[in-house]
Amino acid sequence: MASERYSFSLTTFSPSGKLVQIEYALAAVAAGAPSVGIKACNGVVIATENKHKSILYDEHSVHKVEMITKHIGMIYSGMGPDYRLLVKQARKMAQKYFLTYREPIPTVQLVQRVAAVMQEYTQSGGVRPFGVSLLICGWDSGRPYLFQCDPSGAYFAWKATAMGKNYINGKTFLEKRYSEDLELDDAVHTAILTLKESFEGQMTADNIEVGICDESGFRRLEPSHVKDYLANIP
Amino acid sequence: MALLHSENRPNYPDYATAPTQHHFSPYADNGGSVVAIAGDDFVVIGADTRLSAGFSIYTRDQNKLFRLSDTTVLGCSGCWCDTLTLTRILSARMQMYQQEHNKTMATPACAQMLSTMLYYKRFFPYYISNILVGLDNEGKGCIYSYDPIGHCEKTTYRAGGSAGALLQPLLDNQIGLKNMQNVKDSKLTLERAAAIIKDVFISAAERDIFTGDNILINIITKDGIKEDSFQLRKD
Amino acid sequence: MSILAYNGGAMVAMKGDKCVSIASDKRFGIQAQTIATNFQKIFEMGPHLYVGLPGLATDTQTVMEKLRFRKNLYELKENRPMSPKVFSAMLSNMLYENRFGPFFVEPIVAGLDPGTYEPYICNMDLIGCPNQPNDFVVGGTASSQLFGMCESLWEPNLGPDDLFETTSQALINAFDRDAISGWGAVVYIIEKDKVTVRDLKTRMD
Repeated sequence: MASERYSFSLTTFSPSGKLVQIEYALAAVAAGAPSVGIKACNGVVIATENKHKSILYDEHSVHKVEMITKHIGMIYSGMGPDYRLLVKQARKMAQKYFLTYREPIPTVQLVQRVAAVMQEYTQSGGVRPFGVSLLICGWDSGRPYLFQCDPSGAYFAWKATAMGKNYINGKTFLEKRYSEDLELDDAVHTAILTLKESFEGQMTADNIEVGICDESGFRRLEPSHVKDYLANIP
Repeated sequence: MALLHSENRPNYPDYATAPTQHHFSPYADNGGSVVAIAGDDFVVIGADTRLSAGFSIYTRDQNKLFRLSDTTVLGCSGCWCDTLTLTRILSARMQMYQQEHNKTMATPACAQMLSTMLYYKRFFPYYISNILVGLDNEGKGCIYSYDPIGHCEKTTYRAGGSAGALLQPLLDNQIGLKNMQNVKDSKLTLERAAAIIKDVFISAAERDIFTGDNILINIITKDGIKEDSFQLRKD
Repeated sequence: MSILAYNGGAMVAMKGDKCVSIASDKRFGIQAQTIATNFQKIFEMGPHLYVGLPGLATDTQTVMEKLRFRKNLYELKENRPMSPKVFSAMLSNMLYENRFGPFFVEPIVAGLDPGTYEPYICNMDLIGCPNQPNDFVVGGTASSQLFGMCESLWEPNLGPDDLFETTSQALINAFDRDAISGWGAVVYIIEKDKVTVRDLKTRMD
């Protein structure tokens, strides 16, 4: 393959103007577990698959839904270890902001800073890009926010989106289902439905994770709470 | 000996055996504020009753106004031991004058004497902020304020002591009518003077930790000296 | 003598009803010698945000420029005006960064919140320890005189005109009893839809 000649150093463009390492990173994301985020009028929900290969696995010990500050939460599609590094950095950046300005970091600001970190890993020596795309949800200035952050450092503001395996189907599903005046409860329902579109096997409260963010802040739903939502799904 | 002064010998400052030095300071600052306002036929002087040293309070009930005669009162704040000494000598000198001249010393004469007594200790001064008030030979209220070495100024209003800096500009404004336009210089009444003294002490007690507890007020008129008191904050 | 008292200066800020004031003298001196009587110590940092920097004159200017730099970057990055609260937090941090080699200024911040127009005043020491009282803040070499004046003149819910009168009287009478403050004064009254700047005529000795 001709493109292999330009695949080793990240700072090398291919003649067609591509940085193929970044495309490979996006491929890693597209192969990762699906995740979905939906903005409602009174909050925002993020949800992801958390399937385990063995029945011996102890669920609800390691989480994919993480809180960054009181009012910001994050999930990912792609590689877990890379994600945890970004979570750590994001938490640090949020606290640093609070320390300098005595004010919680606005979601946009956090997204910009996380994206800057991801961009740095596309232009530095001796490193590889992150194998994750992030969904960052938040609530500030009296309204919800939902962002996606890609390995390239590009970020997007969504009303609703899906990432990871089968994300195209997920997005098409959301395009059909989304409405502006969705309530948070309906949004959680829709998010679970979207995951179910491509879900292989039985969906339970033990193999998906849901986080919601509203006026009162961000929180990860308890499995019992998720179970109640699943009960309403055909 | 060569061993003791060896270059290689380590230096442990904690084990150095230099002689311990003790210092004695002959002065203490015991705080306190004095405010005086004079009118045409009266003079009012007030002092707080807190006696303190640093962050501790010796007493909340110390009179700092000294009656030197029926028409003369001295207000003192600063080093309390100096105040005690000065006022005892002063009263002795008042008595000597009485016996020598067969009359009570007038306030202006007393003011001059105080200045001389302070300057007499020019190189080991009494560490006191003095305000002397009384009625002059025409019966008008008068105020004399001093620095610790006897510089004397005759005024119609004065704040001294630990809250002196806080209160003097306020008196300039309210009594001296400084920086005021279109106000007529109405005669200062005794009631207004007494009310101002209470007000300014309330302000001083808010911000000056050395001033508080109570104020004692002496009102001097041709009829004699009347006493009054007023509660301040005690924290 | 303290470096903070090398150039002299007096400053005060007060809260009123839906308005705040900030005022300072205009003297620039070197110890007892007056060099200029038009020295700026209060700076506009936004439509409703003012900062006063009494203290060492060279640091007054340096700190002002550093603050303007940081505030401009913030406003570009966040695409929104900086609130007085955030400004004070940033200033406090900046001063504490120099904990062991401080700028010799004791800043005063006065303004209205850009969203709610809530009055805000704050002062801090030279290493950034903040103080946000509900009435007034003072600073500079005439601070004890100002405390005495403000403590008796200030009252809650002063309208803009009364606030101007109170602030001016407090400042002028205070610095008339300080040998290294005065020589003219400037008063800012900050309201929701206007900021009034007035120069005061004072005694020049």
